[in-house]
Amino acid sequence: MSPRQRQIGAIFGLTGPAYAWLAVTIFLPLSAMLYCSVLDTSPLVPRPSHFTWANYAAFFQKPFYLPLTWWSVLMGFWTTFFCFLVGYPAAYALAKRIKGRWREALFLLIVLPFWSNALVRVFSWTMVLRQGGLIDRLVHTIFPGAPTFDLLFTYPAVVIGLVHSYLPYMILTCYVSLQAIDDSLMEAARSLGAESWTVFRRVVFPLSLPGIVSGGILIFVPVIGSFMEPRILGGTKGATLGMNIEEQFTVTANWPLGAALSFTLLAIVLVIFAILYPVLKRRGVWS
Amino acid sequence: MTEISKFRPKALGRSNRRQFLAGATALGVGATVLGAPRIARAAGDVKVLNWQGYGTDEAWAVDAFHKATGNTVTHDYYNSESEMITKLRTNPGGYDVVLTNCAWNGLARQADLIQPIDTSKIGNWGDLNPAFRDSPLLNDSGKTYGLSWVWGITAVAYNTDVFKPAPDTLAKLWDPSLKKRVALRDDGIEAVSFGAIATGQDMNHPADLAKVKAKLMELKPNVAYIWQSEDDWNKQFAAKAFDISIYWSGSALRSKTNFKLPVGYYVPKEGGIGWFDGLAIAKGSPNADGAHAFINYMVDPSFYVEWETKVGAPASANPKAMAALPDTDPSKGLYGDEASVKRLQFMAPLTDKEKQDYSDLWTEVKTAFAG
Amino acid sequence: MRTRTNIATGLAQVYLALVLLFLYVPIFTMAAMAFNSSPLYELPFQFDLVWFKELAGNDRLIRAGTNSVILAVANTVIATALGTAAALAFSRYSFRGRRVMQLLLLPPITIPWLVIGTAMLVFFYWTFPSLGLSPRGLHSILLGHVALSLPYVIIVVGARLTDFPKSVEEAAATLGATPWQTFWRVSAPIIAPGVVAAALFAFATSFDQFVISYFLAPPGVTTLPVEIYTSIRKGFTPEINAISTIIIAVSMSIMLITARFYKFGGER
Repeated sequence: MSPRQRQIGAIFGLTGPAYAWLAVTIFLPLSAMLYCSVLDTSPLVPRPSHFTWANYAAFFQKPFYLPLTWWSVLMGFWTTFFCFLVGYPAAYALAKRIKGRWREALFLLIVLPFWSNALVRVFSWTMVLRQGGLIDRLVHTIFPGAPTFDLLFTYPAVVIGLVHSYLPYMILTCYVSLQAIDDSLMEAARSLGAESWTVFRRVVFPLSLPGIVSGGILIFVPVIGSFMEPRILGGTKGATLGMNIEEQFTVTANWPLGAALSFTLLAIVLVIFAILYPVLKRRGVWS
Repeated sequence: MTEISKFRPKALGRSNRRQFLAGATALGVGATVLGAPRIARAAGDVKVLNWQGYGTDEAWAVDAFHKATGNTVTHDYYNSESEMITKLRTNPGGYDVVLTNCAWNGLARQADLIQPIDTSKIGNWGDLNPAFRDSPLLNDSGKTYGLSWVWGITAVAYNTDVFKPAPDTLAKLWDPSLKKRVALRDDGIEAVSFGAIATGQDMNHPADLAKVKAKLMELKPNVAYIWQSEDDWNKQFAAKAFDISIYWSGSALRSKTNFKLPVGYYVPKEGGIGWFDGLAIAKGSPNADGAHAFINYMVDPSFYVEWETKVGAPASANPKAMAALPDTDPSKGLYGDEASVKRLQFMAPLTDKEKQDYSDLWTEVKTAFAG
Repeated sequence: MRTRTNIATGLAQVYLALVLLFLYVPIFTMAAMAFNSSPLYELPFQFDLVWFKELAGNDRLIRAGTNSVILAVANTVIATALGTAAALAFSRYSFRGRRVMQLLLLPPITIPWLVIGTAMLVFFYWTFPSLGLSPRGLHSILLGHVALSLPYVIIVVGARLTDFPKSVEEAAATLGATPWQTFWRVSAPIIAPGVVAAALFAFATSFDQFVISYFLAPPGVTTLPVEIYTSIRKGFTPEINAISTIIIAVSMSIMLITARFYKFGGER
């Protein structure tokens, strides 16, 4: 076997199982959904169906889709931004400043909240943020005359809940990247006369970009389609595109429309990536 | 470095990965064997498809039924009517009894998912209220496709500590003094129905949808919360997130009896929504006899009285069951009030286009609320 | 110099403590409510063990919890193995179609799980019977869970691999190590943190996965998230809090014990 053939064999062997699995469980079913999105009736209904673009057109024709989508994208952006703001320093602290057994312990502790049920977690947040809730009572115990603290059913509450749900992704991916950076690299830079901040800006930060970007993807993408946290924490302020997609499957049984909206969402994500790709490529994130 | 290999599972080695995948596949196969549904079922098992916690799965009821007939009962649940249809369709022969709302029974019948009920096997047939029992929503071409089981009201629930004296109109929800004190259910059809009632139109097929939309938009400053489930409602009501809301009658009574919440209920002067549920028998039911016995038990006063007094339930479609309730039971007072019942408009089937239009209207309203 | 490092370390510790506090506030609240007598999370707090007692008698919930754990473990093992392999291929080799394959990881995490779940259900319903399999069952659920975990594993391990110093592998090779040895003794420990992080995510993805489990579970079989989410319609009592608290407590103990005895952080 030539080296090239061996290489091809290795590629197939390594990616084969994973992608075969994905093909059967995701790509094929989603292709069926894609086909469904250009039909005018749901496939489970015994009526003949015809090809139509109407479901995709609905996105532009109905007046609420653009505002809903915009809010969802904005929500994704804010969540990712705050996850980065809070999570990156935490990852840095963990990777560079904590040594020994504590590091593993903290690493695991950060992931642990993930293992609790998301719905119960979000309800717990309502108890913390609402009037008469944890923070409100705490504030009044310390400052009895203070105004009522009621953050529930506001946009910030939604962001807090989402950041809380997705923060571990950012912390862990950044940690994984930062930890790979050899300390000797930093020492070398310092010995060449660079200030700590310069070391960070020119050496550490660029090398940790893959972690930041991965974390960003794992947060931004799912958040755009989310609807549970927005609804429970945002009340009337929690309207999202994800909510509407869900309704097409649970209320109107309009699978073609729901499918079309999902793929539109996917298209939007791809567009955003297409815009950011040149920037990331220059930074050497995508090898 | 050597300590690491102690922890690292062999998974990462290439040849070891093969062993590993074999092991994992064995696990998967094992899981399959354990979880593989048996097509041939235990003799005398009745498979029921219903909302969770909606009467048919009460432990004491299942026990009593088993003692009386020898049939066991297993349940599967759905979270929306649309899902009920999907489950029926993707599980032919998988269910015996399925709960269908009056507005959905016809759909299930047209989709060939339920079969006619042999009314001669229903002992309580003669006792049922003809208004529900013979309704065209549950019967077709002389055959019965749904056994009317319970009926209920969707109207206004309020906090008795806040509203003294009690209000009695739907227009109260629009009262400017109730900023952020109102809750609505997240359901487009229900929202449109109430918008129609509030604007004096037929709730199922309002002639002027634009008027309905405008009326709902006016509620924006008052709406604090849009609830999705009974539990959701209870928790937010208890936390005083809102004081007045559209709510189901049975649930309101349950909130009051079980959770001791200060809940009052009324059917507005302008009208309210009425609905009834019918128990249907799935097409290809493997245990049709058991299914018939089960649904007959469900409309029997012995079941209903215990359900209502122990847990809280909507009204029974069997007047004898209602009469058997103790006089102190709040259901008796609510459902027995002729004047209130007269004001109800009952849910009817909607076309796909209507469902989509109402859902879109509601999304537009929700988007406006959020803006 | 020493003092500066100490201050920096001190600050780091304080900051991490604050972040952990933020992460655990709802967890503590959730655990607290498990001991509160009110079924509706009402304050003031009244200590009561009633929910744990109810939980002990709740066979359905316990069975669901056990199913969840078994599924999650199987899922973690399979997804981590398959995903790590794929990530390795992406970082090692450059080939046509690599970009596309990477982009194909986006649909599973973009498209709402409700849509994917429905698609899976219908697809399995159309294809499985002809293969002699039932469309719904633990095998279907496992298929779904692994599929949803794979993108996370591939992306997270991939992030680690991007910074991978290939020179280390080359050095090992020139020193006479075989590819096996290079991988096992040199590469694996370096990528270990990424793999562990990915495995933890995979576990979480499966353990808290509702939609797929819900659609593909046959009647009579449930997982913990399904129990919790379906009972919200009628009212989930704090038994849910009780079981969640137990799970967190048990996981925390296992994790801390593991961390105590095994080093896997790739100490530098």
